[in-house]
Amino acid sequence: MKAKKNILILISIFLFSFPLWSLESDKINTNSEDFETSNYEDEIYDPLESVNRIIFSFNNAADQIILEPISKGYRKLPSPIQTGIGNFLNNLKMPLVVINQLLQGQGGNAVETSGRFIINSTAGLLGLIDVAEKVGLEQKQEDFGQTLATWGVGDGFYIVLPIFGPSNVRDASGMILTSITDPINAYAVKEGEGWIIPVKTASNAINDRSKIIDEVNALRNNSLDYYAAVRSSYYQNRKAAILNNNDNTSMPLPLISIEFE
Amino acid sequence: MKLLFKIIFFIFLTSSQLYASEASKWLKTEIDFILEAYSNANISNEKRFLIIENTVNYNFAGKGIAKFISGKAWKHASKETKEKYIKFFKKHLALNVASIMQGYVNQEYNLIDSKYDSKNKVSLVDMIISTNSSNITITWRVKQSKERFYIIDLLVADISLVVTKRSEFNSMLKNVNYSLDIFSELLNKQNEESYKLLIN
Repeated sequence: MKAKKNILILISIFLFSFPLWSLESDKINTNSEDFETSNYEDEIYDPLESVNRIIFSFNNAADQIILEPISKGYRKLPSPIQTGIGNFLNNLKMPLVVINQLLQGQGGNAVETSGRFIINSTAGLLGLIDVAEKVGLEQKQEDFGQTLATWGVGDGFYIVLPIFGPSNVRDASGMILTSITDPINAYAVKEGEGWIIPVKTASNAINDRSKIIDEVNALRNNSLDYYAAVRSSYYQNRKAAILNNNDNTSMPLPLISIEFE
Repeated sequence: MKLLFKIIFFIFLTSSQLYASEASKWLKTEIDFILEAYSNANISNEKRFLIIENTVNYNFAGKGIAKFISGKAWKHASKETKEKYIKFFKKHLALNVASIMQGYVNQEYNLIDSKYDSKNKVSLVDMIISTNSSNITITWRVKQSKERFYIIDLLVADISLVVTKRSEFNSMLKNVNYSLDIFSELLNKQNEESYKLLIN
């Protein structure tokens, strides 16, 4: 009971301090006189940059030594096995997706995702086969970071988490909320099968990493400042996820002059 | 009056769609050209990159992108520095595009969707690349000028190459007090390293 109370207090502190962090992140302004071509914000609020860069170097080394080789091996598995594992892991995320869709007021999407979960868990053999996709129930992803953003919570400052990688205060808090509220995690702990949680996390990491091997290598091999490139990529990716971008027409457009080509 | 409005609206919609579809057709030819260069086993890696570099330089709005990405460093740079920077940047852009496309050589792709953003006069062409277990979407932003098309950006899974490069360059430029001249040398060194990785 006391532990529950402590967790609630911690969450409250997290949530109430968001506006303060958001104010800090709003301090970054670009000067329109600096460049004529755009009103882009170049700088991401990163007060812990020196520490973040150290953690980033560690993560990058760990990725090259452990995660990337395992992901490459995983990608050599027969396609149906990879698809099955991916579907199974995605299906486990669905209960939390439904909760977040409800918290964001997306009733229709929540019904659709619930339908997906029920169909795939039964007719789809515990989620191994994505039957729901075939009947027109599209997969959508929502997490607590996105929910907090929808509620008007700002990004906060940028942080690089050991092992977990790029994040910001809001999304890292969302991640903590996810691990606390995930019904699969709760069930595993209740049944004394806590080992399921790290296995699930590692499997998700390998599955996700295997899908972007070429893209990460292209970015890493061609970056003058790989840290800054990843930081920018993270923010763009999250922005698109928060906006629920189905097409890129709503993404900010760089104002590029082609008059002197 | 209402009918006239409807006719104008219809013409506008049709012409926007035609414009986007024209951009999509043009883009397919250029992408095929790059992918064919990769699948041709009879040419050396150096020659292959040269073909891709020429294609990228011809089809991307390289100068405009270079200017945008350099941000505030552009304003105070001399003409010679700008020219040197543009030259290195174009090579950098070609290396980036070549590196991205290299991963998609043996994979199926489809240009599935093209939209015309009439506000910004830009066509957005979606390219779906199907891998073994998943799909990835690349969106090409294409603009028309002087009766031809130019690629102004490409987005891989919602991440813009141009925006990422601008953020990355800004971080480096800050360290050299926004001197485009010093930065160009760093860019050249990075190009040499990237080239070695791509060729070998």
